[in-house]
Amino acid sequence: MFIINCPYCGERDQSEFSCGGEAHIERPKQPTELSDDQWAEYLFMRKNIKGIQFERWNHAHGCRKWFNVVRDTSNDKIHAVYKMGERPPLK
Amino acid sequence: MLNFNSTIKEEKIFGDIKIAEVEPIIKINLRSKKREFSKKIGKILSILPPTEANTSSGNEGYNLLWLSPDEWLVYSNNKKQSLKEQIDLEDRLFDEISKLNQGAVTNVSDHWVMINFKGNKIYDLLSKSCPFNFNEFKRKKGSVTQTLFNHIDVILHNRDNNELNLFVRRSFSEDLWLWINDSARFI
Repeated sequence: MFIINCPYCGERDQSEFSCGGEAHIERPKQPTELSDDQWAEYLFMRKNIKGIQFERWNHAHGCRKWFNVVRDTSNDKIHAVYKMGERPPLK
Repeated sequence: MLNFNSTIKEEKIFGDIKIAEVEPIIKINLRSKKREFSKKIGKILSILPPTEANTSSGNEGYNLLWLSPDEWLVYSNNKKQSLKEQIDLEDRLFDEISKLNQGAVTNVSDHWVMINFKGNKIYDLLSKSCPFNFNEFKRKKGSVTQTLFNHIDVILHNRDNNELNLFVRRSFSEDLWLWINDSARFI
């Protein structure tokens, strides 16, 4: 259990949120030109790293807005929270 | 508004806590990202939609709750408002907002059940199964929050010192009511 600072509502318990997986995955501009392997790579393959990861989260039981979180998956420490469309604060 | 049969038919008192459903009252959901929207709501309801998170605004007739940056909930304070008055308000909002593409107006009167809590120990009861920290909420009159209560989505509106209104979806209301009745016995 950990606390997430929703950029709209403020600090809330993690149970109010749902994780939407890795963030900043760009949809290919011409999907029809991709091979099946490349398309599968885009659709299904995620990094799932141990360490700092950029993720999308949804405040499902609150304001129902999506936003991005920079989270350390090894200890659940949240380094940054930023709205959709904003640039990541860390690289 | 439909002629529904409420699942909650009683008013309960457990020591310091008094719990009762408040119905029938009109509840309208408003959604918009347009600038003109606030002015129109101000003109119709004489209240401006709150822009600050977790707050509400209100007057004698209505309360306007912040739900998200582009979503609000209006509910009436008047239980004696006639069905015609309720329909007129909905029509007026619909004509001024939805029809002119200024946002969306949805009548959710039958969607949400409103339960009123009064008493010194209401936050002890809520804290039994709520992940939300009520320290700030209970100090600030008019605070609003959406959270989970016994794993059920609820909207909470701080009406006054030791008084709040809880909104729960109709299909979950009976389950929550039974849970509240069970838990309140041990407060």
